[in-house]
Amino acid sequence: MTRPLVEKLFFAALGIFLLAVFACIGVYLVLSRDLPQLPDTLEKINLSLPTEIYSVDGERVAVLGERRPVPIEDISPDFLKAIIAVEDASFYRHKGVDHLALFRAMFRNLREKRIAQGGSTITQQLSKNLFFSFERNWVRKIKELLIALQMEATFTKQRILEAYCNQVYFGNGAYGVEDASRVYFAKRAKDLTLLQAALLSGLPNSPNNANPFTNYDRAVRRADYALDRMVKAGAITPRQKEDALASSLELADSRGESDPNLYFIDYVVGLLEEDYGKDFVHFGGTKIFTTLDARLQKFAMKAAENHLEDLDKKMREADAHGPLQVALVAIENRNGAVRVLLGGRNYSRSQFNRAVSSNRLPGSSFKPFVYLTAMETLGYSPATVVKDEPITIDIPGSSPWEPQNFEDEFAGDIVLKKALMRSINVVSAKLVQATTPARVIETARQFGITSPLGNHLSLALGTSGVSPLEMAAAYSAIANLGVYNKPYFVQWIEDYNGNRLYEHFYLGIQRFPQKSVYPLLDMMKGVVEGGTGSVVRKMGFEHPAGGKTGTTNDFKDTWFDGFTKDLAVSVWVGYDDNHPMRDTSRHGLTGSAGAAPIWVNFMQKALEGKNKINFPVPAGIKFEKVDPQTGHLAEGGSPEGVEVAVKEETQLRPPP
Amino acid sequence: MRILGVRFYWNGVLFLLLFAVAVALELYGHVIERGIGHYLKWQNPHRQQLGRVWDKERKSVLAQSKVQTILSSLDLKEQSSESIESFRALFETLHSSLVVSREKFLRLYFDYPGQWSHRIVSPFELMEIDANQSWRRVLLNNSGSAIAVSFIDGSNNPIKEISLPASILFEVQSTRTIKRGRLEEANFKEDLIFPIKEFLPLLRTLDPATQKALFPDPKWFLEKNYHVTRLGVMSESFEANPQTTLFGIEYETDFHTDILLIPVPLEVANNLLSQIEKNDLDNSQGSFKDVYEEPYAEKN
Repeated sequence: MTRPLVEKLFFAALGIFLLAVFACIGVYLVLSRDLPQLPDTLEKINLSLPTEIYSVDGERVAVLGERRPVPIEDISPDFLKAIIAVEDASFYRHKGVDHLALFRAMFRNLREKRIAQGGSTITQQLSKNLFFSFERNWVRKIKELLIALQMEATFTKQRILEAYCNQVYFGNGAYGVEDASRVYFAKRAKDLTLLQAALLSGLPNSPNNANPFTNYDRAVRRADYALDRMVKAGAITPRQKEDALASSLELADSRGESDPNLYFIDYVVGLLEEDYGKDFVHFGGTKIFTTLDARLQKFAMKAAENHLEDLDKKMREADAHGPLQVALVAIENRNGAVRVLLGGRNYSRSQFNRAVSSNRLPGSSFKPFVYLTAMETLGYSPATVVKDEPITIDIPGSSPWEPQNFEDEFAGDIVLKKALMRSINVVSAKLVQATTPARVIETARQFGITSPLGNHLSLALGTSGVSPLEMAAAYSAIANLGVYNKPYFVQWIEDYNGNRLYEHFYLGIQRFPQKSVYPLLDMMKGVVEGGTGSVVRKMGFEHPAGGKTGTTNDFKDTWFDGFTKDLAVSVWVGYDDNHPMRDTSRHGLTGSAGAAPIWVNFMQKALEGKNKINFPVPAGIKFEKVDPQTGHLAEGGSPEGVEVAVKEETQLRPPP
Repeated sequence: MRILGVRFYWNGVLFLLLFAVAVALELYGHVIERGIGHYLKWQNPHRQQLGRVWDKERKSVLAQSKVQTILSSLDLKEQSSESIESFRALFETLHSSLVVSREKFLRLYFDYPGQWSHRIVSPFELMEIDANQSWRRVLLNNSGSAIAVSFIDGSNNPIKEISLPASILFEVQSTRTIKRGRLEEANFKEDLIFPIKEFLPLLRTLDPATQKALFPDPKWFLEKNYHVTRLGVMSESFEANPQTTLFGIEYETDFHTDILLIPVPLEVANNLLSQIEKNDLDNSQGSFKDVYEEPYAEKN
C-alpha cells in the first residue's frame, strides 16, 4: 500500500520540480530581453547635477532634482534600525526575497486576484525605484525580484541600505533621508532623534498621507507603529520607546505651505523647458539667475493675504465660491525685469498661475490705451471736451449698444483728463467709435498686449481678457514714456563651471513719442490724485504715481494697475469661477476696494525708505490749467480748473 | 517486479530526503536566490541599459551635450567678435546683434583712421559713460531700420543708448578702408601716384577742414609704427558715390604694405591734381599744426 503512494509522491514531486524549473527558465528567457543592466556602483544613481535657481538678491530660491546622498555612516543608526523594522525586518537575513512575506503576499494576491500586497524587501523596493514603473503587475514584480536577487549577489547589504536611504521618497519634495531630515526637522540625517527617525521611517510607505505638515496626527501614529516594530525586532527597549514618545518632535516650518516664490519658479522653469527642453533644465546642472526679488515677492504675498482675509470675511458667498484669488505682477520699468509674479494666494492649495495663465476682463483699466489712441489719431488732448450723455450706438447686424456709466449719471461736457479720472464709460465708448476698435487694438499691441482682442466697440470698456503680466508690462511702457521693454524673467544662466550659457540683454523700444505719452501719464496721475484711484492717497501712499482702476460687469473682476517712476504693478482680484463679488450688503467690490489696497500695501513696503522720484517731463510739454467743462484756459487762480499736460503745439482756447 | 518496486520505494525516499535537504538549503542558505543572482550578475554586461536610472543618466548626458553645444556656439560668437579688426567692420558685420568688450570697442574706436567713429559717439561722451566705472561691454543691435548701440554695465543694464539710422551702413561703406597691397594693385594709375615728400607740401596748402577730411591724424601712423611712403589719387569716380573719388595712402607696416583708402569729393581731388600739374609745390606755406593739435575736437 505504501509503495504505490511513495511512487506517486515521487513522480508528482519530480514532475512539479521539473515543471517549476522549466517554468522558471521559460519566464527568464521571456523576461531577460528587457531586463535592465545594473550599474557598476550604486553611487551612480545620485550623480546627476541639480539645477539651482537664484533670485536677483542672490538667494537660492529653488533646486531642481536635488539629491543629497550621504554615506551610511552619516545616517542616524536609529533611523537605520527604524527603516529596517518597518520595511523589511529580515533584511540582514534574506538574499533579496523574504520567503514568509512573499508567500503571505502571494496567498493574499491569489485570493483577491489582484496585487493587493507587496511583500517587497528593501532590495526589491530599491530595484523597483531604480528601474521600473510604479504600475502593479506580475511581470513587473518578477523583473523586480530578479534584479533584487542580482543586487544581493553584487552589492553588500550596507551599500544596498545606503542606496535605499538616499533615494526613497519621503514626501514634500524630499528624496533621500538627508533631504527629508532637513525638510521636516531642519537638521542633518545623522542628528535625528529616535522619535524623528521613527516618524521618517513611516513616510516612504505613505509619503503624502502621513506627511507631518499636513497630517500631523497620522504621522505620529506611523511613528508610534515604527517604534512598536523596533521594540518587537529588539532594536530598542519598551522604555526607550516610551521616552521617545514623550520627547518633542521639533518639526521644522513647512516650506511648501507658504513659499511665495513657487509661482515665479514654476513659470520660469516652464519657459526654459520650452526654450531648451526638459532634459537641459532638470539635468543640466545649471545655475539660473532670475529677475525675481524674493523680498518683494514676500511683501506681495503678505499684502494680498492680509487684504483678502478681510475681504473674505465681508464677502457674501465666499464659502461657496471662494476663497477670493489674486494675481500680482511687478515689473521694473527701466529694463522690463519681472520682480514679482504672484499667481494666487497659496501655491500649495492652487498651482494655477493667474498672473500669466488667466485672461480676465480688464474693465476700465484698459481705457488708457483708448485715450492714447484718440490723442494720437484724432489730435485730441487731455483738454479736449467730450459730452458725457446717454447714447445709442447702432451696430450693423446687432442690437444697438447703449453704454452705461458706473453710477448711471452723466456729467455732460467734460475734458478728457477728468473723464479718465472718473472712468466715464460713455466717453470711452465715444472715443472708440471715433477712432475705430482696430486702431485701439493696434495701440494695445504696441504696448505688448498679445492676448486676443475683440474688434468691437465694447473694447472701450475692457471686454477682452488680458493677463496681469501683460497689463503690468503695458503700464510700465507708460511710466517709461513710451519705451516698451518686453518683460523678462531670466537674467543669465551659468553651467556648473560658471560659464555663461545665456544672458539677457535689455532692448527697450520707443513705441510712442515721449511727448505723446506724457499727457496720458499725467492723466493717470490724476486718477490717483483725485479720481477713482484716490484710495491710493487716502491710504497714505505718497510717492508720485499714476494708475487706473478696473471693475467688470457684475463685479466679477477688480483691477488696479499703477506705476511709480521705477515700478509698474498690476493687481487682479476675483473668484476663479467668475462669480460676482458682493459683500453681505450686496454691494459689489470695485477695483478701488478690491485690488487697489493690495497695490498700496505692496508698494508701501517695496518703496520703504526710498526717495520720492517724479516722472521726468519730456521736452515739448506744457502745463496749463483748464476749465473741466469747457476746456478753455482757466481764469488765473480759479479753484475749479484742472491742470493738464499737453504738447507745446496744442492750442488751448483762452477763457471766453 | 518486486525488485523494481523496492528500487522505486528507496528512490522515492531518497528523493524526498534530497528534496527536504534542498528545501533546508534554500531556507537557510538561499541557494536558489544566490544561484539566480550570480547567474544574472554574470549575464549583466549583455543586457541593455533600461529603466529609470539609465534614462536619468542618458538625460543627464544629453543635457551636458546641449550645454557643450551652447558653449561652443558662444565661443564661436566670441571669437568672431574678437576677430573684428576695425571699427568699420564692427558695423559692416552686424547682421543681428553683437557684443564687444569695452576694451575691444575702445581699441577699434581709437584705431579708426578718421572722424567717422567720432560721429557715432564722441570721445567726451565715452568719458561720461565711463565716469562711474560700471561700463563693461557694448551691445550693437541691427533691427533693420535702425542700429542701436548700448553701452552696458555688468548686469547688462544700459548706461547709454544711441540709435543710429540704418543708412549709417551705407555711410560706413563709403568711408575709409584699409587694403593689403600697393597702390597700383588697387587700380591707382602710376602717373597719379606721388612720393610722400612731394605730396605733403601740397597738403599744407589746403584749408584745415580739407586737410582733416583728406588725411588722418599723423598720430595714427606714427603710433603704430606705420611708415607712409606714397600717396595716390584715383582717376575714376567712386562707384558708391559718383561725386567722390578715392585718395590712397600707401604705408609700410612691420610685415606688409597696406593702403588706406579715403573717399574724397571729386572737386577736392581735381583741385589737388591741378596743383600738382602747376608744379608749384615748393611755394606752399600751409601747416598741419592747427588741424591736429587737438586731434579729437569735434568740429560740428
